[in-house]
Amino acid sequence: MANKTKSAAGIALKKVGKFAAKYTTYLTFVVLLVVLAILTRGGALRWISIKNLLIAESVRAFAALGVGIIIITKGIDLSIGFVVCLCASVAASFAQPADYSGALFVGKQFPLFLPIIAGILTGTVFGLFNGALVAYGKLPPFIATLGSMSIAKGLQLIYTKAAVVGSLRPEFKKIGQGSIGPIPNLAIYVLIAAILVWVLLKHTKTGTNFYAIGGNIQAARVSGIKVELGLMVAYGIAGLCYGIAGTLQASRLGLANSLTANGMELDAIAAVTVGGVSQSGGVGNVGGMMIGVFTMGLINYGMTYLAINSYYQQIVKGLIIILAVYFDMRKYSKR
Amino acid sequence: MDSEYAIEMLGITKQFPGVLALNNVDLRVKPGSVHALMGENGAGKSTLMKCLFGIYKENAGKILLFGKECHFTGSGDALRAGVSMIQQELANCPERTVAQNLWMGREPMTKLHFIDHKKMHDDTIKVLKNVDLDISPETRMGSISISKQQSCEIARAVSYNAKVVVMDEPTSSLTEDEVNHLFKIIRQLRDSGIAVIYISHKMDEIFQIADTVSVMRDGEMIGTYPITDLTKDKLISLMVGRDSKERFPDIGPMPKTNVTLKVSHLTSSVDRSFTDICFELHKGEILGIGGLVGAQRTELVESIFGIRPVKDGEVFVNGKKIGKLEPSVLIKNGVGLITEDRRRTGLFPMMSITNNTSVPSLGQYLNKMHLLDHRKIGTDTVKYNKDLNTKTPTMETLIQNLSGGNQQKVIIARWLMTLPDILIMDEPTRGIDVGAKHEIYMIMNALAKQGKSIIMVSSEMPELIGMSHRIMVLCEGRETGILNRDQMTQENVLTLAASFMK
Repeated sequence: MANKTKSAAGIALKKVGKFAAKYTTYLTFVVLLVVLAILTRGGALRWISIKNLLIAESVRAFAALGVGIIIITKGIDLSIGFVVCLCASVAASFAQPADYSGALFVGKQFPLFLPIIAGILTGTVFGLFNGALVAYGKLPPFIATLGSMSIAKGLQLIYTKAAVVGSLRPEFKKIGQGSIGPIPNLAIYVLIAAILVWVLLKHTKTGTNFYAIGGNIQAARVSGIKVELGLMVAYGIAGLCYGIAGTLQASRLGLANSLTANGMELDAIAAVTVGGVSQSGGVGNVGGMMIGVFTMGLINYGMTYLAINSYYQQIVKGLIIILAVYFDMRKYSKR
Repeated sequence: MDSEYAIEMLGITKQFPGVLALNNVDLRVKPGSVHALMGENGAGKSTLMKCLFGIYKENAGKILLFGKECHFTGSGDALRAGVSMIQQELANCPERTVAQNLWMGREPMTKLHFIDHKKMHDDTIKVLKNVDLDISPETRMGSISISKQQSCEIARAVSYNAKVVVMDEPTSSLTEDEVNHLFKIIRQLRDSGIAVIYISHKMDEIFQIADTVSVMRDGEMIGTYPITDLTKDKLISLMVGRDSKERFPDIGPMPKTNVTLKVSHLTSSVDRSFTDICFELHKGEILGIGGLVGAQRTELVESIFGIRPVKDGEVFVNGKKIGKLEPSVLIKNGVGLITEDRRRTGLFPMMSITNNTSVPSLGQYLNKMHLLDHRKIGTDTVKYNKDLNTKTPTMETLIQNLSGGNQQKVIIARWLMTLPDILIMDEPTRGIDVGAKHEIYMIMNALAKQGKSIIMVSSEMPELIGMSHRIMVLCEGRETGILNRDQMTQENVLTLAASFMK
C-alpha cells in the first residue's frame, strides 16, 4: 500500500517535471523577461528595447537556424563564426562604391544583387564542403568543421588582405538597416526564414528525415533514407543560412573585417541548446531555436543593463552552454 | 559469518518500462559447483546477471556473497570482490599484450611507482599456467584465438582470487576441442572451490558439465534441480513451459505459388561471411533461416536488403532483377526488413510512435505541393498500429517508453505501411515477453495468409520449427540444406547447422 501511494506521488511529480521539461525554454524566457522588466522598471518592455533586441539578435538567429538543423542530425558546426565572417567579407567586397579608393575592386560598381548572391553562395559552398566531409568522408563533424573553420579564417584574411572592407554603398546597407514602418527589415527576414525552416522540418520529407538521421542513423539507413545525401542537404542549408547571416551582418554594420561574427558559433550553439535542440540528435524545433536565441539576447541585454563587465559576460555565456548541455544530457542519456 | 552458499540472490525483482523482467527471483549457488542457468531468450537470465554485477539496479531483493550482503556498482567492482564475468563477447584490448590485458588497472609497481615489467611478465606466466595456456605474455591479445583469449579472461578472473565466475554462452564460438579444453578448466575451477554460473542453451554441454540447473522462464525462477534429476525432455519442458504445439498458430501447408524473391549465388564482400547462397521464396510462404551463432544469417538478410556489401550474385524480386542492392531500392520493390537489433538499427528512441511508424513510407504521403500530408499519415499510422494491437498511451508517446513487444509491433506497422510483398524478419520475437510473442506469431501467420512472403531468421528452435513452411540452414556462411515441413526436427536442423564444424 505504502508503495502504491509513493508511486502515485512519484507519478504526479513526474507529470509536473515532464510539463516543466517540455516548456522549460518558454518558461525560462518568460521568467527572464519578467525579471528584466522589473529591474528596468518596464524599460525592457518598451518598443525601442524590443526593437534593439530584434536587430541585435537577428543575424545570430540565422546562424542558429543553420546549426539547429545540423544538431538535429546529431552533428555540430564549429566553423560558423569564421564562415559568416568570410561571407560578410565577400558580400562587402562587392558592395563597395566605385569611387572608393580603398575598395577591393577599385573602380568597379556591381549590381546590388551580386554581394547578396556572392555572400550566400560562399556560405552554401562551405556548408556543402562540411557536409561532404561528414557524409562521404565519414569525418566526425567536430573535426571536419574545426578544419573548415581554419580554412575559412585563412581565406578571409587572404581575400581581404587582413584589411577592413568598409564604406559600403548606402543601398546595400539599407538591406540590413532599413525598416518597414516600425519593424526592422532584419526581423522580417528572420520571421520569413523561421517559417521556411519550420516548413522544411515539419512538412517536408527531407526535413523529417533529418530527425531520423539524428535519432538513429543506422535505423534511418534501414528505412531507406539516403543518409549521406540527407547530411549533405542539412549542412548545405545550414551554409546557406550562414551566407545570409554574413551578408546581413555586413549590411547592418556597413563593413566587414576579420573580427566580424567572432565567436558566433558559441552564441548559435548555446542558443539552440537553450532552446531544446538536443546534442543527442533527433530532437528540436524552430520555435525552441528562436526562443533560445532571444533568451540568450535577453541575458546579454540584462548583463549589459546591470553593467556587468563584458569579460564576465563571456564566462556567463560559457557556463550557460555547459549547463544547458548538462541538463540536456541528463534528460536524454538515461534510457 | 560463513554461509553454505557462495552467492545468494534473494527476491530479485526488476521492472523495466512496461515489462516485469524479473519477478521475485531466487538463485543460490554453492561453492565448488557448476551451476547452469537455463531459459529461453528473454527469460531473464542476462538481466539477473546484470543485477548481480550492478549494471542494473534491482527494484527489490538482496544479494549475498558468502552470507554477506553486497552491492556491486559494476563488473570492475565485482571483480575486486571475487565475482567475475566471462562475457560472450570478450571485452579486452586487442592491440595490447596479454600481460597488459591481464593486469590492466592494477599493474605491479616498482618502489619508484613505475610499472614493474619484470614482475608483470613473471606473474602472467604463473597465472596462465592455471588455465594450461603456454603463450608469451608479450603476445598481442588480438593475435591469439578466441578460445585462448577466453582462457586469458578466465586466468584474469582467477588472478583476482575469484570465488564466483559467471560464464555467458562461453562455447558459442569455440570448436569441439576448444570446448573440451574449456570444460577441463571449468572442472579445475570447480575443484578449487570456485562457484561457476554457467549460462548456455546447449543441452549436451549442460549435461556434461553442470552439477545443478536452475531454470528461468518469463522473468521467473521455475526451479533448481540437481542434474541427476533431469532429462533433456524434462529440461526442455521446464524451459518452454508448455507444449510447443500450442504456442504457434497453424500456418498450413507450404503454398504452391509463384516465386516472389529469388536469391542466386549471393556472396558477401566480407571475408569469412557467407558464400554462394541460393534460394527461392514463394508468395505466402514463411521461410525460416536457422543456424548457430556465426552462421551469418543476419549478414545474409542485411546484405539482401543492401545494408551490407555483396561481391557477387543476384537478387530478383517478383521476377525483376534488382540492379543496385540498396534499402531505398528494395523498399520501392516491396521488400521490408525488421532488423535483429531493435535498439541499434530499428528504433528512433526519441521519436513518437507516429514518426517511428511513418519514416520509410513518407514518400507515399506527399501532397501536390510535395509537402507531407500529416492528416493521412496520422490516420494510417493509427490504423496499422491498431490492426497489430499496439498498446500505447498516445500516438505521440516516445517509442522508448513502450515495452519490447509493443516496440516490435510499431516496427512491423512501419513496414506494413510501406505495402511490402516480402517481409524479412530477423529474430522477430527477441527480447519480448511470451504473450507478445504469441501475438507476433499470429500476425506473421495472418500476413502469410494474405499473400505476403516472409523470411524469418530465428535462433529459437521451437519458433523456427513451429513457424516455417521451410527452413534453410546455414553453417559458417554456407547453405547446408533446406528442410521441408515433414523433415523438421531439432536434430535435423542441428545436424545441418553444425555440418562444417569439426
